[in-house]
Amino acid sequence: MSLIEIPHPADPVVTVRGLTKAYGGRTVVDHLDLDVHAGQVVGLIGANGAGKTTTVEILQGLRTADAGDIRVLGLDPVRDADTLRPQIGSQLQSSGLPDRLRVGEAVRLFAGPRATGGDRLLEQFGLAHLRHSAFAGMSGGERQRLFLVLALLNKPRLVILDELTQGLDPAARREVWSAVAQLRDTGTTVLLVTHELDETELLCEHVVAMREGRVLDQGTPAELVSRHARDVTVRFGLSPADITSAADTLQELNRLPGVSGVTRDRGDVVIRGTREVIAQVGAWLVAAGGPVPADLRVDIPDLEAALLTLLDADHADHVGRSGHTDQMGAAS
Amino acid sequence: MRTTVLETTAEETTTEESPRRRHPSATRRLLTTELRLLTRDSLTLTFVLAFPIISMLIIGGVFGTEPDDAFPVNPSHWYVASYFTVVIGATGLIMLPVHIASYRERGVLRRFAASGFPRWSFALAELALGLTAIAVAGPLLLAVAAPVYGLPEVHDPIRVVAGIVAGSVAFISIGVLLGTLLPSSRAAQAVGLMLFFPSFLLGVGGPPPAVMSDAMREVSERLPLALATDAIREPWLGIGNGTGPLLAVIAIAVVACALAARRTVL
Repeated sequence: MSLIEIPHPADPVVTVRGLTKAYGGRTVVDHLDLDVHAGQVVGLIGANGAGKTTTVEILQGLRTADAGDIRVLGLDPVRDADTLRPQIGSQLQSSGLPDRLRVGEAVRLFAGPRATGGDRLLEQFGLAHLRHSAFAGMSGGERQRLFLVLALLNKPRLVILDELTQGLDPAARREVWSAVAQLRDTGTTVLLVTHELDETELLCEHVVAMREGRVLDQGTPAELVSRHARDVTVRFGLSPADITSAADTLQELNRLPGVSGVTRDRGDVVIRGTREVIAQVGAWLVAAGGPVPADLRVDIPDLEAALLTLLDADHADHVGRSGHTDQMGAAS
Repeated sequence: MRTTVLETTAEETTTEESPRRRHPSATRRLLTTELRLLTRDSLTLTFVLAFPIISMLIIGGVFGTEPDDAFPVNPSHWYVASYFTVVIGATGLIMLPVHIASYRERGVLRRFAASGFPRWSFALAELALGLTAIAVAGPLLLAVAAPVYGLPEVHDPIRVVAGIVAGSVAFISIGVLLGTLLPSSRAAQAVGLMLFFPSFLLGVGGPPPAVMSDAMREVSERLPLALATDAIREPWLGIGNGTGPLLAVIAIAVVACALAARRTVL
């Protein structure tokens, strides 16, 4: 009789403390702390060179850390590699298969002792009809779906997906997202490395934003947006009749609760503020009595806005610190 | 959008109960796949199977069948015995470096490593692949040679087998090592061809040492492929015991095998 492990949400699947890695004197991961719990889909986001891929490669024992305490499924990724790796399903950023290998052969090759249902996975990911096709002849989306099949084949306890949808067309990306969403729904722990923020918002319940090997902030997508991109923008064009009284209009809008600023952008009025502004401006437009402007637009901040704000703030902080250090150096 | 549903069935969970009883090992799965892929690789098949046979058929007929100053034995037999090493050289210097470098280039080895293949499985599979290629191509060469030139009598079978095994392990290891060191399959092909052809022409399938200048003979005697040839050819044709070359080839095999194993750990 087999034992089926049901992950407890509090179970730590990945615990990293103080992970540091440098290549030739350049630090790419800098005292990183990371926790992934069972059943979570965690997104590692950040610009190129943030250290995301290096981090997940270290988690799989494919690279060694210079410093830090790393436990994956309670194991040391390097010392316990033989025990750990079969429990991880992984899609690496830059890894492929032999050109002449056929889909069915790939499934047989990667099917370890724990593997079951390779044919069914092929069916579920829409690859069954390609069973006899060579890897070289597959499209980008088909290849990524095959990599997902291979990552899931051995019933992994942790799935690591690195830039899974890079280079895919919109339809193929949606197919892959759908597959990852299904993984999430079955309670599989997933670590998703990406710089596609729409993907992160759609799939991840916890996001870790990185820059130059450091964690800038982490939380749910909503928490990150709330902390770093709170302002909404409401924009509409002034009618010709209103242009003469534009200054008064701007002053009125500026007095509305929640508004932090009102500006003119060519013929448009642009109102920024908290989410309350959406309701307040709507009410003001209705109260004004005229027709609601046809070009009324509300921009609600998303994870991309939050990340950009976060990166800008970190950059400014970094420049500030460098400048301060320079001044100190000059003074001494 | 296509909807996928991931399910677990009762049948799946039962497979976990006795996973090792029926499941082939990773090395076996790798070897099976590699052999299958080998049969689809026309460049490799040409070099390992066709090239030694065609070259042997051509050169074996050039110098007739009578021993003379240049050849201590029937020249056709000299080349039949020599060309067994061409198979070994082609496998080690062309087939494996190109194959493994292409794997590194495409990230296939990283995928094997990340997928939990045991650390030594790839090294063992490549060793078995190389030995299988030689075990098929070598006898095929002899089978073609037999009706055309006849097969030379084997004077010392134990030493010949020892020479073939040591030479095979040495050149398979060198090939694996080259494949793990060179950055791309193109580079591996270029380096492999540059190593193979001088060794082939000077040390194995070209003119006999007796007609070479002193300098060229000096060079040819020190080539690893020439040492492997002597270790096989001398006891085969009864023109020496091949002990010196055999010991040298064993030393090369030990060093190359250790380095190759170290480089191919997943």
